[in-house]
Amino acid sequence: MRVVHYINQFFAGIGGEDKASTPPASREGAVGPGRKLAAALAAEGHELVATVYCGDDYAASAPSAATEILALASEAGAELLVAGPAFGSGRYGIACARVAAAASAAGIPALAAMDPSNPGLPEVAPAIAVNSGEAARHMGDALTKMASAAAVLARGGTPGEAEGVISGAPAGARRNTVSPRTAAERAVLLALSRLAGGKQTEIKLPDFGHVAPAAPIADPREALVAILTEGALVPSGNPDRLESARAKHWFRYPLTGRDTMAAGEFQSVHGGFSTVVANADPNRLLPLDVAREMEVSGEIKALYPEYLVTAGNGTAVADATHFGVEWAAELRRAGVQAAILTAT
Amino acid sequence: MAPTPPPRPRPEGGLGVLRRVIHRVTAAGFGDATELRAGTLTASRPELEALTADPALASVRLSWVSPGDSARIVKVLDAVEPRSKGPRGGAFPGFVSPARIQGRGETHVLRGAAVVAAGFLPRAQEAVVEMSGPAAELSPLGLTHNLVVEFEPAEGAAWENVDAALRRGMLRVAARLADAAAGGAPDEVEELSTPGPRSGQGPLPRIGAITNLQTQGAFKDVFFYGRSLAGSPPVVIDACEIEDGAIVSGQYGHPALRNPTYIHQNNPVVSALRAADSETLEFAGLILSPEPVDQGAKELTAAHTARLCAALGWDGAIITKEGGGNADSDNSLKMDALEEIGILGVGLFSEMSGPDGTAPPLVSPPSTATAMVSTGNYDERLQLPAVERAYGAERCALLDVEASAAMEVPTAVIVAALSPLGWGRLTASGADMVSA
Repeated sequence: MRVVHYINQFFAGIGGEDKASTPPASREGAVGPGRKLAAALAAEGHELVATVYCGDDYAASAPSAATEILALASEAGAELLVAGPAFGSGRYGIACARVAAAASAAGIPALAAMDPSNPGLPEVAPAIAVNSGEAARHMGDALTKMASAAAVLARGGTPGEAEGVISGAPAGARRNTVSPRTAAERAVLLALSRLAGGKQTEIKLPDFGHVAPAAPIADPREALVAILTEGALVPSGNPDRLESARAKHWFRYPLTGRDTMAAGEFQSVHGGFSTVVANADPNRLLPLDVAREMEVSGEIKALYPEYLVTAGNGTAVADATHFGVEWAAELRRAGVQAAILTAT
Repeated sequence: MAPTPPPRPRPEGGLGVLRRVIHRVTAAGFGDATELRAGTLTASRPELEALTADPALASVRLSWVSPGDSARIVKVLDAVEPRSKGPRGGAFPGFVSPARIQGRGETHVLRGAAVVAAGFLPRAQEAVVEMSGPAAELSPLGLTHNLVVEFEPAEGAAWENVDAALRRGMLRVAARLADAAAGGAPDEVEELSTPGPRSGQGPLPRIGAITNLQTQGAFKDVFFYGRSLAGSPPVVIDACEIEDGAIVSGQYGHPALRNPTYIHQNNPVVSALRAADSETLEFAGLILSPEPVDQGAKELTAAHTARLCAALGWDGAIITKEGGGNADSDNSLKMDALEEIGILGVGLFSEMSGPDGTAPPLVSPPSTATAMVSTGNYDERLQLPAVERAYGAERCALLDVEASAAMEVPTAVIVAALSPLGWGRLTASGADMVSA
C-alpha cells in the first residue's frame, strides 16, 4: 500500500518554534523519523511514498489545516495515513489527531501516535490512536508499533493492544463504585491507620506537569498584546451558548471599534461566582478600557483585535489543556507577544 | 506541709447530655390534623401553609413524595430533618427560636422524613433528587418521605427576601412536624455528649472534626445560630449543638457537593467519630470554619484552625468542605497547616476526573499532606429514567427538557451524591487505598 506520513515542522527539519507557523507542504519519500518507519513498513510490503509536514501553530489553529494536509496526502496517492509520533506535545498531538480523523472520515485508513495524556487524543476517532510514550526517547518503540498497527490496518484488520492501540478507558481510569462504608467511616479508619504509621490514601496527588514561564518580553512598547478571560464574558444573550460550568467550548469575539466593554452589551454566564459586579462593568473581567488607554499612550504597541473566552468552572483539566494549546497556537500564529488572561 | 490537693475531676468541656428521641416515619400524607401515629406522619396542609406565610411569598404548594415513587424533584434548594425541643421550643435557634445556645436536654427527631424546598432562586445550580431508579440511593433525600415546599415569589419581592422567607417557613414547618411527635412514645432514645479536653490522659488518639461552611454571600451561605460565619475565625462548638439545628444551609451551588441542613443535623463525620469513641479513638470535638473567598484569608483561616487543634490537644482531624474546586483549597490548606505542626489532617474530596475518569482528580491538592478520602467522581454520567411526576419546576434547566423526562446527567447534579461531609458510599475505583 502507498503510505503517507504526517509530521510537524520540527521533525521535518524545517525549524523549531520560530517556524511553527509554516503552512502545510509535501515531500517525496520519508523524512526524519519517517526513514525508520519506511524501513519497517517496507518489511511488510508497504511503501512510504510521501511526507506531509506543517508548523504546529498553523496545524493546531488554522481551521482549514486538516483539510489542506489531507489534500496533499491525497495528491501523493495515500492509501493509508500515519501521523506522528507526537508523544506528549499538545499542538502536534492535536494536529496528528485531526489529520488522522479527517483521513479516516474520507475512507483512508489512518492512525495517529501520541501519549495517552496528549490533549489531541479525544479528536483521533474515527481513526486509531497508538501509544507512543510520553517523550522522544521512546521514538524507536513508537515507530515499530506504528508500523505494525499500519500493517494490520492495511490488511483490513483492527489493530489492538499488541500494536499499542489506546482503547477505551486506560488503566487507572476512575470509575464510581459503591463502598461498604460511608466516606466518613473510611476517613476515620484512614486517620487511625495513618496515626499508626500507615501511608495510605484514596487519591494520589495529581501530576499537572510543569509549565515553564515564558521569558519577559523585552519591550512592551513593541508588543502585540491579547486580552483573554476564563470569566465566561460573552455578548449579551450568549449567542453561542457557552456553558456556565464544565465548559467544552471556547469562543472568540471581536474588539475592533470598541474602547470599552459596555454594560448591557456583554454578560458573564459563569456559574461559579456572583456575576452582578462583573455585569455592571464587564471591563473588570476583561480590562479593555485600560488596555485601550495603554495602546493610545504607546505603552503597548497594539491590542489583538479579538478576545478569547471560556468558562473556568469545574472544567475538566483535559479540556482546559486542550483550550490552552489551541489558544497558544492561535496567538503565536497571529504574532501576539504577550497575553493577559484574567481568572475568576 | 500543705495538704495534697484532691485529684481534680476530669474536666467536661461539653454542654452535658443531649437525649436524641427518635420517632421513625414509615409513611406520610395529608389529613385534618398534623400528627404522628404508628409511624404514619400526617400533615395539615392549611396549618403548615399558614406557617410559611410571608410578604415575600405569594404562595406555597406542599406535596409529599416517598421512596419508591416514580417521582423526581428538580431545582432542589435545602432540606431539613424535622426536629423539636418540645413545648418550650429551641429548635433551629436564630430562625424558629431565639439564638440561644442549644445542644442539651431532649430533641425529638422524625427519622425518615424531610422538608425539601424546591424552585428557582438566583445562583442556584440545577439540583436533582430521584425517588426511585438507580440514582435514588445516591442522595439521603431519595430515601426519606419528603414534604416538598414549592413557592411563588411575591411580585416585586427581592430575591434575598424570598430566600429568607422560604428558609424561615421550611424550618417552622420542620419544627411543627416534629412537635407532633413530642408527646408520643419514641422508637429509640440515644444519649449524646461531647467529651471535654482529656488531652494526653488516655492511650487513644484524639481525633476531631473540622467542618468548613461555605461563605460566599447570598444564596451561597451557611448560617450558624442564624448568622453567616463569613469573616469569622474558626470556632469550637459542642457537637450536640448541631443536633438542634444550630447550622442551617442557604447554599445552593454545586448540588452533589452541597451539605443540606439535613446532613449538618446528622453530621456523618461526627457520627463516625462518636461510633469509635473510647474504642479506637477519643472523639475530640468539632470545629466550624468559614470558607473565605480570597487566598490570603483562606491561608489565615487554615493557620487559625491548626492553632485551635493544637490548643485542644488533637492528634488528628477529619476535614470536610462544601463546594467545588475553590473549597478544595480550604481542605488542602488546612491539611498542610496541620501537617506543619505535626497533627494529622485527613481530607474528604470529590474527584473531577472527567466523564471517562482519566483527568487529574483535584484542582487544588495539598502540597505536603497526602491523606485523602474520595467521595467519587463528579463528572461520571448517570442515566435517569423518565418519571411520572416532577416537582420544583416544569423543566430541567440543565438540559432544557421536561423535568419528568429521561435524561443523562453528570453525578454532579444529584443532591449530596458526593457528600463532602461523607454521607455517601461512593468512591472511585482504583481508589481503594493506595500508598501515598
